[in-house]
Amino acid sequence: MDFKQLPPVKEQIMKCVRCGKCRSVCPIFAEVGNETVAPRGHVFMVGMLRDGKVEPSLEVVERLTNCLMCETCSINCPSGIDIHELNAAARSYIYDKNPSLSRGFVFDTLWTKPGMLKKSTRMMYTAQKLGLQSLARNLGMMRILPGDLAKAEGILDALPRRTARSVLAEVNPAKGAKQYTIGYFLGCATDLINPSVAIAAVDVLTRNGCEVIIPSAAKCCGLPHIANGKMETARELAAHNVKLFNKYNFDYIITDCASCSSALSLKNMEFLAGGPLNPEEAQAFAAKVMDLTQFLAEKLELTLPPLSVEPIKVTYHDPCHLANAQGIKQAPRDLLKLIPGLELVEMDLANRCCGGSGTFALTHYDLSMKVLDKKMASAMATGAQYIATCCPSCTMQLRYGIKRHNWDAKVIHPVELISLYYQKMAKSA
Amino acid sequence: MDIAAIKKELRSILGAEKVLTEDLDLMYYSYDSSFLTKLEPKNPYAVVFPKSTEDVQKVMRFAYQNDIPIIPRGAGTGETGGCIAMDGGIVFDLSTWDDIVEIDAPNMQVIVRPGIIHAKLNEQLAQQNLFFPPDPGSSQMCTVGGMVANNASGLRAVKYGCTEQYILGLEVVLPNGEVIMTGGMKAKCIKNVSGLNLTKLMVGSEGVLGIVTQIRLRVWPKPKARGIAMAVFDRLDDAPAAVLDTYQAGILPSGIEILDSSAIEAVNGFKPEINLPEAEAILLFEVDGNPPSVDYEGQVIKEVVGKRARTIEWSTEPQRMAQLWEGRSITATAAARVRKDGSRIFAGEDISVPLSRVADTLRAIRALGDKYGIKVVNYGHIGDGNVHTAPVINPEIPEEVERVMKLVDEIHLLAIELQGSTTGEHGVGAVRRPYAPLEHGKAVEYMQGVKKVFDDKGIMNPGKLF
Repeated sequence: MDFKQLPPVKEQIMKCVRCGKCRSVCPIFAEVGNETVAPRGHVFMVGMLRDGKVEPSLEVVERLTNCLMCETCSINCPSGIDIHELNAAARSYIYDKNPSLSRGFVFDTLWTKPGMLKKSTRMMYTAQKLGLQSLARNLGMMRILPGDLAKAEGILDALPRRTARSVLAEVNPAKGAKQYTIGYFLGCATDLINPSVAIAAVDVLTRNGCEVIIPSAAKCCGLPHIANGKMETARELAAHNVKLFNKYNFDYIITDCASCSSALSLKNMEFLAGGPLNPEEAQAFAAKVMDLTQFLAEKLELTLPPLSVEPIKVTYHDPCHLANAQGIKQAPRDLLKLIPGLELVEMDLANRCCGGSGTFALTHYDLSMKVLDKKMASAMATGAQYIATCCPSCTMQLRYGIKRHNWDAKVIHPVELISLYYQKMAKSA
Repeated sequence: MDIAAIKKELRSILGAEKVLTEDLDLMYYSYDSSFLTKLEPKNPYAVVFPKSTEDVQKVMRFAYQNDIPIIPRGAGTGETGGCIAMDGGIVFDLSTWDDIVEIDAPNMQVIVRPGIIHAKLNEQLAQQNLFFPPDPGSSQMCTVGGMVANNASGLRAVKYGCTEQYILGLEVVLPNGEVIMTGGMKAKCIKNVSGLNLTKLMVGSEGVLGIVTQIRLRVWPKPKARGIAMAVFDRLDDAPAAVLDTYQAGILPSGIEILDSSAIEAVNGFKPEINLPEAEAILLFEVDGNPPSVDYEGQVIKEVVGKRARTIEWSTEPQRMAQLWEGRSITATAAARVRKDGSRIFAGEDISVPLSRVADTLRAIRALGDKYGIKVVNYGHIGDGNVHTAPVINPEIPEEVERVMKLVDEIHLLAIELQGSTTGEHGVGAVRRPYAPLEHGKAVEYMQGVKKVFDDKGIMNPGKLF
């Protein structure tokens, strides 16, 4: 769709009165401190781009990408501007005009074909196991990687041996009487990097009357593509997933990943509207999408019987794509509070971005670390043993933060803690 | 000196990390919150980020020697183009020079650098049960330096007045690089009538005399209790009359805010769940102090205002207070959303009129809105006669822009005609400068003369104020 005709570009830019509220809440502005990274600055620049007062150039995209897409500005904007959508649309416009600037292979090829993504992850796993990463580093080969990737290689923790898809069946019957048929949207990062979360989710769901189907032909949710200016590809991915999931008669479409659930939400489907994405089909699909924590806490109304267990202290980090993009803050906390023996200690500014933001930590390493260090200071002040969170990108970033600060804590999804509790129950029985 | 040479020299004076010189970066400094800069953004030659008085001095000396305009800037939340380089120059972005130098609790004062954010300062002061009372609506984003430059006030000006009442002394760098301390070189006292009062001259001078680099502020004990009353009126004239009744009953609330029927409609349209009663006007009274006095004042307000109001509700319960206040707190936002393809603009937004003329003013602004076919939303600080008007237009339709500019001009002229002022708290900047001769007459020449004493070359924030 024509950049200038996109609803946010057409309707929202003029609403910005540059009050500066966004500046006061932006985690990147807090670090950089000049107007070129202020969200209202991004709105201004997108307007300049729309009006042809600046060229769609690398220089402009460099400034627009000084943004975590955490949506803190958007939810705080008194004029109701979806600043992150404007930014994403502008990036896409610039890349469309300058194909040479875009990371075409990564986002158009690798990240749209689950098989290739899996193979490349396997290759990385093998490289890690064989020590090839350190060999490459010692030979200076990491320096040829784009952006800050060479510096950021440590963020990608040791990869698990097996992916979630290779462990889980496509159809997982409910244990006991079936209450719901669930389509499980298994995101790329959970599948390849955090398979234990999906395994725990299937365990908890099936124990609670859900048949869980994990369609094997599902593709990436498209969020990395939106963030990296690949709206057309994101649209194609959305159209594929919508058609695929709509073929089944699911009661709900559940995902453990905050980024996936925000990408599959109605709001985002509206943003992507056009091209191959049929609006009615997208709406029917999005109406069934629900974040795992919300489903467990609010639909299943999960309860756990008491058991004599060792007490644990947990703090919760709000992923931006859950708290800001979808307003889901209470459900994960309610779930955690259900677990007997678990003490939930709130950290200061729990809903402040961790700086991971998908690929941001890889492309803007130094800036990302400044944001992370603030997050770690608040998390560590709680003295918790676990940081619970519901986003694979946050999980990677927080794990890196723990390593970076030599802290003795673990990052975990709430559903993993619940699954562990079930295991303890089984043992004690 | 050509612009490229200015950029090069600035990088050499301050170091590249404290200077922005690329054309694309400079575009981000072409605006503030004014409608003027939305229509006509203007880029500076360069932006500098000083972090010490010496940094400011070095750049000022360079600018002075080379006749380069100097434009101080805080968070860029102003509504007047006050921080914009109208015809080139060096913008001093002071918003990240935000240290609290000293909280001197025994002397009830605090020393800060200009970039400290108002709300952040009050967060720190609250730990010692102190506060800096002026309360601008932009508290979360505006800098104290910007408040000093514009003599800002806000919701609680009725009781606590404006910024100037709290400024004990200033460190100011003059255009020639000299540093002066107003309020006494070594003074740490509260009362001080020694010498000409240069502090008061600097406060509200909008950066046309020098750059404020350090601020010594008087702070007050933080009130322990507050209460809110909401009164609903069927007749517009009863609202200002009720304000007067309150004063005559010996009560000085911390704030008295008004929403007229246009604002009520806007709030209900934006958030129907707030469900403000349909009325000609709603008044919100805020009272603060110690619990017994708050209760007493609340009861008096209820009794006195109740005689004129259709209904009045008083609460000291935090949740209910938040509900009662919600209508006021979202008015500015709601105004922006009364028209799907529209935006509220900051122009003609800050007139100040005598208390006895508030109702006339609101009626006249409505009539002007009708005359120009532009929706206007009125709200503001009725307790001190400061009316905020939000015209809502589609700023991308030139014909509408033309009409709204005529409306705004008439609003400013109306204020002067009613023995008021074109601005109560937002300042003059570039947008209200044309009204200076009408408002001040011959006094403008003396203002220019005073400026010349400090700024003989006329390089400090040119094109502003008068």
